[in-house]
Amino acid sequence: MITTLIGRELLNNLMTFRFAAALFITLLLVVANTVVLIKDYEQRLESYNASVKTHHQEIREKQTYSAGEVEVDRPPNPLSIFNVGLDKRLGNEIWISHNYVPTLWEARMNASDNPYLNILSSIDIVFIFEVVLSLMALLFAYDALAGEREQGTLRLVLTHPIRRGHILLAKYISAMLCLLVPLLLSLLFALILLTTTTSISLEADDFLRIGGIVLTSIAYLSVFYLIGLLISAVTQRTGTALMLAMFVWGALVLVYPNLILAAIRSSDIPQAKAVSTFNQIKQVWDEFDRERKQYLATDDFPGEDPTFNINGMGFFYEHFPEDPLTLLYFYYSMMTFGELDEKFEREVPHAQNYFRFLIPSTIKTAERAWLLRKQALEDTLVRKSNMKRTLLKLSPVGMYDAATQAWAGTDLKGVRDFFNAVRQYRQTVIDYLDSKNAFASRKWFAADEGAVDWSTLPAFSFKRSGIETNAKRALPDLLLLLTVNLLLFMIIFLIFIKSEV
Amino acid sequence: MWHIAKRELYDNLNSLRFALATVLLLALMLTNAVLYLREHPKRTQAYHNAAADAVKTLESRSTNLYSLATGGPGDLHKSPSPLRFCAEGDEAFLPTRASGANYGQRIANMPPVWRLFYPQETPNLRNIRPDFTTLDWAFIIGYVLSFVALLFTFDSISGELERGTLRLTLANPIPRHIVLVGKFLGAFISINIPFAVAVLMNLLLISSSDAVQLNAEAWGRLGILYGIIILYTCLFIALGLLISAAVRESGVSLVVLLLIWVSFVIFIPNTLASIGSCTAVPIAYMEFWTQRMQLADEARAAYRNKYGDSQATPSVHVLGEYVTTEAEEYERFNEAYLKQQIAQGKRARAITRISPTAIVQRLFESFAGTGFERHLQFIENVQRYAREYREFVVDTDRADPASLHVVGIREGMSQKPVSPEAIPKFKDTLSLNRDFNTAAADLLLLVLFLTVLASGAYLAFVQLEI
Repeated sequence: MITTLIGRELLNNLMTFRFAAALFITLLLVVANTVVLIKDYEQRLESYNASVKTHHQEIREKQTYSAGEVEVDRPPNPLSIFNVGLDKRLGNEIWISHNYVPTLWEARMNASDNPYLNILSSIDIVFIFEVVLSLMALLFAYDALAGEREQGTLRLVLTHPIRRGHILLAKYISAMLCLLVPLLLSLLFALILLTTTTSISLEADDFLRIGGIVLTSIAYLSVFYLIGLLISAVTQRTGTALMLAMFVWGALVLVYPNLILAAIRSSDIPQAKAVSTFNQIKQVWDEFDRERKQYLATDDFPGEDPTFNINGMGFFYEHFPEDPLTLLYFYYSMMTFGELDEKFEREVPHAQNYFRFLIPSTIKTAERAWLLRKQALEDTLVRKSNMKRTLLKLSPVGMYDAATQAWAGTDLKGVRDFFNAVRQYRQTVIDYLDSKNAFASRKWFAADEGAVDWSTLPAFSFKRSGIETNAKRALPDLLLLLTVNLLLFMIIFLIFIKSEV
Repeated sequence: MWHIAKRELYDNLNSLRFALATVLLLALMLTNAVLYLREHPKRTQAYHNAAADAVKTLESRSTNLYSLATGGPGDLHKSPSPLRFCAEGDEAFLPTRASGANYGQRIANMPPVWRLFYPQETPNLRNIRPDFTTLDWAFIIGYVLSFVALLFTFDSISGELERGTLRLTLANPIPRHIVLVGKFLGAFISINIPFAVAVLMNLLLISSSDAVQLNAEAWGRLGILYGIIILYTCLFIALGLLISAAVRESGVSLVVLLLIWVSFVIFIPNTLASIGSCTAVPIAYMEFWTQRMQLADEARAAYRNKYGDSQATPSVHVLGEYVTTEAEEYERFNEAYLKQQIAQGKRARAITRISPTAIVQRLFESFAGTGFERHLQFIENVQRYAREYREFVVDTDRADPASLHVVGIREGMSQKPVSPEAIPKFKDTLSLNRDFNTAAADLLLLVLFLTVLASGAYLAFVQLEI
C-alpha cells in the first residue's frame, strides 16, 4: 500500500514545473560555480607551489645558522571547493624561528592579496545548496497537506484503510527522492569536473569526506522539507502556508545568520584579560632581558654591548616586536656576517659564549611565554569566535555550514591542525640545530669559514587530518541536524494524527 | 484606478504577508540603527585620535624645512562616513590610511626623501570568526525588500485569474492598463507602508542620539537613497507583475520569481565578480615588494657607478637630484601597482552590473560615501594633498634667499623655522557632485531595467487571454 502511495506522490512531484526548475537552476549554478572555484583553487595552488619553491631556495642561500629562519606554506585544501570555510581567508605562509612559538595570527598571505577584491565573497557548492535547495524543499512541502486538504483529496485518501503515519511517510520519502535528484546530479557534475582537472588530486579519504558532505546535505534538506510540512500541517490554506514558509525561509537563511553575527560583532575580545596576559608575557621577557644584561655585565668583556664591537660585512639586529591584540611579544636578535675582519677575531669567542647562553635561554623563555599566550588566546579570540559559531547553530544553516566545514577540513580546527604541525616542525628544527651544536658554533653568526650546509635539515610536510578526525568533528552537528529532523517529524505526526479533515 | 489600488491595498493590509513583512523589516532596521549607534562613535573617535596624532607629528617637524621635506606628512587617515549604516561597503576590508613617510634605503648616509605608500592591510587575515554579510540598508533593501516585493506581487494577476475575479473586474468598462497601474500602485503602497515605518524608526533612533550628527548634506544623500529604493522596489514589483501575468498559475509564477531572485540577487553578483577578477590579475604583493627592492638596489648601484663610493662626497646638487628622483621613482612604482589593483577591482565590479541588486549596492556605496568608489576619492585626495605639500616645501624654500634651493638635502635648504599653522593639513573631503558622476551610469541602468520590465508587464497583461 505504502509503495502505491509513494509512487503516486513521486509521479505528482516529478511532473511539476518546480521539479524541472529546481533541477535546472541547481545544475546551472553548481556547474558554473565549480568551474570558477576550480580556477580559483588552481591559482592558489600555483602560488603555493611557487612560494614553496622560493622558500626552499631561500633557506639554502642563508649562510649562517641565525639567519636560517625557515618559512613554511599552507597548501590550499581541494575540498574548499565544497565549503571554503577559513581556508582562503587565514594566512598561508609563516616563518619559523626559535624566538617565538608561531600561531595562525602570525601567518601572512602569499597570494590573492588585492584589498579591493575582498568584498566579493566567494560562493561554494555548499552555499548553493544552502540557499537554493532549502527554498526548493519548502516549495515542495508547503502544499503537501494543506493543498490536499483544500482540494478534498486528503479526505478521499483517508477513506481507504491506510494509517495516517503511512501517508505522511509516503509523502516524505517521495519528496525527498525528488529533492535528491538535483542534489546528487549536480554533485555528480561537480565531481566529474573535479576529477577531470589534472591539478586537483583527490585522495581516497577525500571521497569519503565528500560522502559525509552529501549525507549532511541530505539531512539539511530534510530539515527544510519537514519545516515546510509542519507549516502545511498547521495551516488550512495553501496561500497562508506558502507565505509562512517563505518568511520562515527568509528568517532562517537570510536574516538570522546575519542578524546574530552583526549583533555580537562589537563585543570583541575581553580587553582586561588580554591586557593582563600581555603584561605577564612582557614580564617574562623582561626577566629574560635582565638575565641577558646581567650575563653581559659579568662576562669578561667590558660593557653591556652584545655586538662585541664586531664589525664587518654583516649586521646585528635586536628588537621586541609586539602586538597587543594577538598577545605577540618576543625578543628577536640576529647577528650574521658574511665575512669577518681579522681584527675582530679575538671577540669571536665572546660572541660564541654569549649565544651559547642566549639561544637556549630564548627558547626556554619563548616556551614560557607561549604557555601564557596559548591559554589567553583560547580564552579570548578562539572562545569568542566559537560562541558565534554556537549561536549560528540556532538556524539549520549554521549546523549545516559547521558540519560541512568539518568534513572538508576547512573549519577553524582543520586550519589549526596546520599550525600545530608548524609548531612541531619548529621543535624539529630546534632539535636539528641543537644536534649540530649550532647555537655555540661560529657558524651561528659568521660564514667566513664556509656557509652552513642546509641539505640535512628535515623538510616540512603537512598532511590533512584523517577521515576519522573529520568525522569526529562533523558528527555532533550532523547528529544535531538528525535530531531536529526526528523532532520535527514527531511533531508533524502528532499534529496530523489529531487533525480533522 | 484609485478604486483598484485601494482594493489591492485593503487586501494586502489584512494579509499575513503584510504582518510578517512589517515585523521582519522593523526588526532589521532597528537592529541596524542600534548597531550603528554602538559602533560609529568608536570609529569617529579612533579617526579623530589618529588624525590629531598625525597633525602633532607633522607640526613637530616644523622646526626646519629639511625635516618637513624628508619626513613627509606622515599618516593620512580616511574619515569615516556618517552614513555607514546605509552601506557598509567593504570598509572593514579596505585600508583606512595612506602614508607619506621616508622608509627607504640610505645612500651615502643620507636619509631618503618621503614618498607615498599605500599600505596593504588585510584585517581579515586574522579574523577567525564565521563569515557574515553586513546588516546595512543595502542588505535589507537589496535582499530582504526585493524578496518581500516578489511575495506581494507573485499572485496579483495569476491569483485573480485562478479565482476568476479578474474576469469580473475586466467586465467593467475600465481600460486594462488602468487595472495594471492600479495593481502596481496597490502593491507599491502596501510594501512602502511597512518599509517607510521601519526607515522612520531607524532614522528617528539615529538622529535622536547625541553621538551622531547628520548634517544637511547627509540628509540630502539619504533623500537620494530613498529615491533609489523606490526605483528598486518598483523594479521588483514590475518583475512580479510581468511573471504573474505571463505564467497564469500562481504556484508556477512564484517558483519562476524565486529562481530569478536567487540568481540575480544572490548568485550573479558574486559569481560574475569572481569570473571578472580572474582577468588581468596584478602581481602578488610579495612579488611587487621584491621588484621594488630591486628598483631601489638598481638606483643605488647606478649612483655608485656614477659617483664612486661613499668616501668621496659629491656636490649638494648631485645628492639632491639623486634623493628626489629615487623618491619619485619609488612612488611612481607604488602608484602603478595601486592602479593595477584598482583596475582589477573595477573590472570585477563592472561585470556584475547585469544584476540590479549589484547596481543598487554600488549606488548605495556611492551616495553613502563608503566602499570602493569612496576609497578612490580618498586616494585622489591623498595624491592632491601630496602635490600641495611638495609645492609648499618648494615655495617656502624659494622664499628664503639664503637657501641653495636643493630640496631633500640639509645643506641645500632654508634653515628658517616654519610656522606650524602654515603647513597644509590633510582634509579628506567628499564631493556629492563627483558621487553623482560616478553613479549616473548606474542610475540610468536601473531606470532602463525598470522601463523594460514595466513595459514587459504591460504587454503581458494587455495580451492576456482570460
